[in-house]
Amino acid sequence: MRTRGRLLGRSPSVLASNRDRFDPLADAGKPGHGPQRSIEGWILLVSGVKEDAEEEDLYNAFSEFGHVKDLHFNLERRTGYGKGYAFIEYESCEEAEIAIRAMNGSQLLTKTIYVDWAFSRGPIQKLTSTRPLRRRSRTPPRRLAALTC
Amino acid sequence: MATGGAGEDGASGEFYLRYYVGHKGKFGHEFLEFEFRPDGKLRYANNSNYKNDTMIRKEVFVSPSVLREARRIIQESEIMKEDDNNWPEPDRVGRQELEIVMGNEHISFTTSKIGSLVDVQTSKDPEGLRIFYYLVQDLKCFVFSLINLHFKIKPIQS
Repeated sequence: MRTRGRLLGRSPSVLASNRDRFDPLADAGKPGHGPQRSIEGWILLVSGVKEDAEEEDLYNAFSEFGHVKDLHFNLERRTGYGKGYAFIEYESCEEAEIAIRAMNGSQLLTKTIYVDWAFSRGPIQKLTSTRPLRRRSRTPPRRLAALTC
Repeated sequence: MATGGAGEDGASGEFYLRYYVGHKGKFGHEFLEFEFRPDGKLRYANNSNYKNDTMIRKEVFVSPSVLREARRIIQESEIMKEDDNNWPEPDRVGRQELEIVMGNEHISFTTSKIGSLVDVQTSKDPEGLRIFYYLVQDLKCFVFSLINLHFKIKPIQS
């Protein structure tokens, strides 16, 4: 590892000190895999968005799958063009899921976009250390389905 | 980067990002800080004693796609090639810290607050500092969207 920079242990950082407790989301009591619901809905990340796309292009494309409650299409500070990503909020998990299935890998203004959940219920699992997931108790399939959305 | 690692920097490998901006003054320690951990945990802390005296501390797991997007923003900025040797030292007005681990590179930069591009132009390393100046704004923008959408709170600019 090559390290560069002047910062040498005199940081006022609160995160690095690790003393404070952080507030997780209210309903974070369901750890595991899969998407995490946000306060008011389900958030998707759209990446690969063309730099000269406009908010309206995204709004129109994603309105096909449900009511788009919120949309952040952030601009690059230096150029004023799109930074290449957007966040989309849907009310229901179903709408978000349909949008992912339909739009992930599709073309928006001649460029391939990728659509995925923005938040997860748990940490990212390293692909190298995947042990087959063993269910500790037999959960009826119907309940599992309910957990995904 | 001529060696084999160049391609791996994109999607896999080690990744850590932390940004801090703040100062200690009349209203105590006022700051804004966030970090992305390799397992996807996004932590966010914001304290402004001027408006209210409670510190906001939030954490949430982001998806691998969100981490990948953060990496992309960093990679495209080419900040990993810079050095903070000639940047303004932190002062009474404040300090910024940017720590990134990506691939086998680790940067740990610190400088003063940058008010505007004028501060960048008149510095000893305008090219490097400009990259830092814009990257920090783009990263803040990215994180503010995540925090705002997930928790429905508005970050306070430090």
